[in-house]
Amino acid sequence: MEFDWDIFAPLFAHTLTFWWVIIPAIFLGLVVGAIPGFSAANTIIILLPLTLAMDVEVGLIFMVALYCSSRMGAGIPAILVNIPGTAGAAATPLDGYPMTRAGKGQQALAISFVSSTAGGLLTTIVALLAMPWLAQVAFYLHSVEMIVVMLFGISLIATIAARDTLKGLIAGFLGLMIGAIGADAVYATPRATFGFLELYDGVPLIPALVGLFAVSEAFLVIEGETILSGKGQDLMRKAGWAETMEGVRAALSRWWHIVWTSLIGLVIGVVPGAGASIAAFVAYQQSRTFSKTPELYGTGHIEGLVAPESANNGVTSGTLIPLLVIGIPGGATAAIMLVVLQYHGVTVGPELFIENPELAYGVFTAMAVTYALMILTILPLSRYMSRVTMVSTTYMAPLIIAFTLVGSFVPREYLFDMYLAFAFGVLGYIARKTGYHTAAILIGVILGPLLEQYFLRAMKMSQGDLTVLFSSSLANILWVLLILSVGFPYALEYRRKRLKERE
Amino acid sequence: MTKFWAPSRRSFVKGGLAAAGLSAVPFSSALSAGFPDRNIKVYVPTREGGGADRNLRAFTGVWKKYLKTNFEPSFYPGAAGRVGYETYMGKAPADCYNLLFGNMGPEMLNWVVKKPSFSLDDYFYFARVDVDPSVVFVSAKSPFRSIDDVIAEGKKRTLNVGTSRLAHPASIGILAVGEHTGAKFNLIPLSGGKNTIAGVVTGEMDLGVLPSGSVSKKGVKVLRSLLVFDEKNRLGARLSSFDVNAPTANDHFGTKLPPLVSARAFAIQKRAVDAHPDRYKAMNDTILKVFGDPDYKKAVLKTKAPWENIRYGDAAACKTYAESITAIGERFKPLMTGKKS
Amino acid sequence: MTGDSMAERREKKSIGGDLVIPVAALVFTLYYFSTILDSPWTAQVSAFFVGAILIALIAAFLVKSARQIIRKEASWHFDTLVSPPGLVLRRLLLLVLTLAYIALIEWGGFTLTSFGFLFLAMLLLGGGRNFRLALLLSVSLSLVGYLLFIVAFETRFPVGPFEALMKPLF
Repeated sequence: MEFDWDIFAPLFAHTLTFWWVIIPAIFLGLVVGAIPGFSAANTIIILLPLTLAMDVEVGLIFMVALYCSSRMGAGIPAILVNIPGTAGAAATPLDGYPMTRAGKGQQALAISFVSSTAGGLLTTIVALLAMPWLAQVAFYLHSVEMIVVMLFGISLIATIAARDTLKGLIAGFLGLMIGAIGADAVYATPRATFGFLELYDGVPLIPALVGLFAVSEAFLVIEGETILSGKGQDLMRKAGWAETMEGVRAALSRWWHIVWTSLIGLVIGVVPGAGASIAAFVAYQQSRTFSKTPELYGTGHIEGLVAPESANNGVTSGTLIPLLVIGIPGGATAAIMLVVLQYHGVTVGPELFIENPELAYGVFTAMAVTYALMILTILPLSRYMSRVTMVSTTYMAPLIIAFTLVGSFVPREYLFDMYLAFAFGVLGYIARKTGYHTAAILIGVILGPLLEQYFLRAMKMSQGDLTVLFSSSLANILWVLLILSVGFPYALEYRRKRLKERE
Repeated sequence: MTKFWAPSRRSFVKGGLAAAGLSAVPFSSALSAGFPDRNIKVYVPTREGGGADRNLRAFTGVWKKYLKTNFEPSFYPGAAGRVGYETYMGKAPADCYNLLFGNMGPEMLNWVVKKPSFSLDDYFYFARVDVDPSVVFVSAKSPFRSIDDVIAEGKKRTLNVGTSRLAHPASIGILAVGEHTGAKFNLIPLSGGKNTIAGVVTGEMDLGVLPSGSVSKKGVKVLRSLLVFDEKNRLGARLSSFDVNAPTANDHFGTKLPPLVSARAFAIQKRAVDAHPDRYKAMNDTILKVFGDPDYKKAVLKTKAPWENIRYGDAAACKTYAESITAIGERFKPLMTGKKS
Repeated sequence: MTGDSMAERREKKSIGGDLVIPVAALVFTLYYFSTILDSPWTAQVSAFFVGAILIALIAAFLVKSARQIIRKEASWHFDTLVSPPGLVLRRLLLLVLTLAYIALIEWGGFTLTSFGFLFLAMLLLGGGRNFRLALLLSVSLSLVGYLLFIVAFETRFPVGPFEALMKPLF
């Protein structure tokens, strides 16, 4: 399984010849990524007849390109209209949207594209070089360790709550409580389902996301002529190519930030079941913790946008590693790819590298080529995409409501989910009008069920012994890091105050 | 988008993966008089792209040849299949144009755990397509070479067993073995076969239990099988450990367990059969022909499912199975619900 | 209301709106607890843990708000929730339209209902002065939606007269 340059170099050139598959897949991916409710996974399912009909190599390249580009597409509405296209982009609007409102939507898009591409490319290369070792992560991060990883993400609630602690915490814990709706992970006892079968499997993410962010947004933006602030409108009118370049420079000058946050994404992506949303939240939280200017996060801070975008693209490379190396998909999209590969009679797992090395490495070269082609095609478009924010809210608000409600229907095809999105919309509207952070609620809804699932698994395995939480050395190291990372900002604050007092 | 390049997803499904040649699918033969004069809708209570989906595509791909109509599957996963059943029983007209394709084992256990909103006498399974016995398996790297190693260790300490969910024939199987031998097993539901395999392969679980189809597909280099809950090990070396074929629980331990299997079958509302006995008969007659058709075998093998697991059962066989699994489910009910009843 | 009291209100924080979320959260948490009273421990443990913290937080918030009201630093009013006042009616109507959209889609089908919603909502927000643009946009957007969701992606949206009419074409 060791990296072999002789295979890789010609493979890269060979993959480039498939540009005719990759470029349409990129555009399709950007579109489906941007519409809440559609994702790479369900698009691949929808397009199965097409994918299965293709030659296995073409099919794989198509899926990989779609996967990478949908991740990037999800960030576009998150930045421009405060609506994450998928749960993986849920941390993107935290700083992306404030930039847009200030008229810097074009810069924000460019920053997101560059950090996504750079993070994606870097993790692809790391994945290629370190695949056998990275695959081992899945053997060490068991439920106990994952509990701590989840807590890293959830501690972001406290961070968000910094401005009004009590309200922020109430929002976060309400989210956790809502996330706990549905059958428990062990005995499948239905809880707080209001009698709806549709809630047995928990609160579906897309309707929650659509309601909290999109529907509530639509009811808020009608207060203004456009979603831009007054100053923002002036800036937007004057914007030209220079703003795109400004964004590119801003992202590239934070190359080190891209490197380490995308690596967080890569490692989390390798763990089966963990996904882009947790990686993005953890990266954001870590980025803020180690920042010299934590108070700027949430106001349109560049690093607050770079971190989640590089991390969720790192996940993309990560989820494919366990699929290829041990035959276990790291996420939903990887699982569908497995179905397609199996249909073509390709066995994934260790044998793949012996029987079909070009295919195994081909996945990662396809990713690299996709990122390379994607940045070239999308960057020039950011200037035009950001114009969306100039559209009058008279037309924007109804459009947002109709299309995102439709999106909330798509994943499960239940009309119930549209009503649910509406209910979350009302909740989101009230929350935002009265100073409760919807992102804090969403973190609870997304991460709460995952945390509970890992927690119950650990508890069931240890038969109720709480000390199991500290039973592995890796977990203990993670606990210490967690405490440090939560406590660090406070310690820093304390020191700053002391210094000021001395002056 | 799909329209321009290839047959669309749902019409494709109608055509069946089996027929595989990705040629355009002929439209419904509305020409023939009598039943059926339009497409038959099949409610599937599991996810699109899952095992039942593959199984159903292969079957209906051939069945449509004999019944001279197309099949439209629609998928209602959710609440462990309950959504599918409730939708079918609640909304589908009882006219023999609406069928359900379910998994008798886990789904009968669902009703043991919690009764549905409709009466269980209102529908019945009438054609079993396959039988997928439960298997006890370990990772290829596991120290356990045989089921005896597992039992010996299970007497010393409680072993964690990954399973897709508690209310599943496979879970009941390992519990019954524990009860018989005195070995201690702690079932950990991992929601789904893929997660269960992941839990076993990554070493978090000591062993796992799943239907044979998903275990044998991984190959013995990844997963070794130690025990089968069926009358015999029909898959032979594909379910083995160090070249020893997995024995059956009844042979090995002298237990008298019924086959603990997942069994996919077509179900129908009783009212539909009472109102249209002729239609019901037409379906049954044509189903029998599918099993003898070499195209069907080809289609099944194409899905990588073991052909040995394809075993037809009529309404009576389905009834016997449903009753036996319900009876054993009642016995282990407290362990499936966590409540002492 | 006299001019004086208006001025007074402007100085005070109105926290009625701030109480909606905590009170709703409290009601929900109590309902949640009622559904798991006789469930196995696995169903209870995290809910009771999270719920207890949430109730404590809400209690703290209520105490804080009560103190502000007693000290006359804040008032009970809900104006943060509905501001700006000029928009209240339009916002309520948009809410009704949205709910009607979801409720009617089952009967009218995806395309017609989407068109109706988009058109009426755009007219409503534009104050009726933008009839032609609203018509143009809503027709084209619902057609794009039809092509994307029904024709291309074949989602299982409710079918209405329009979809039935177009069926022979696709």
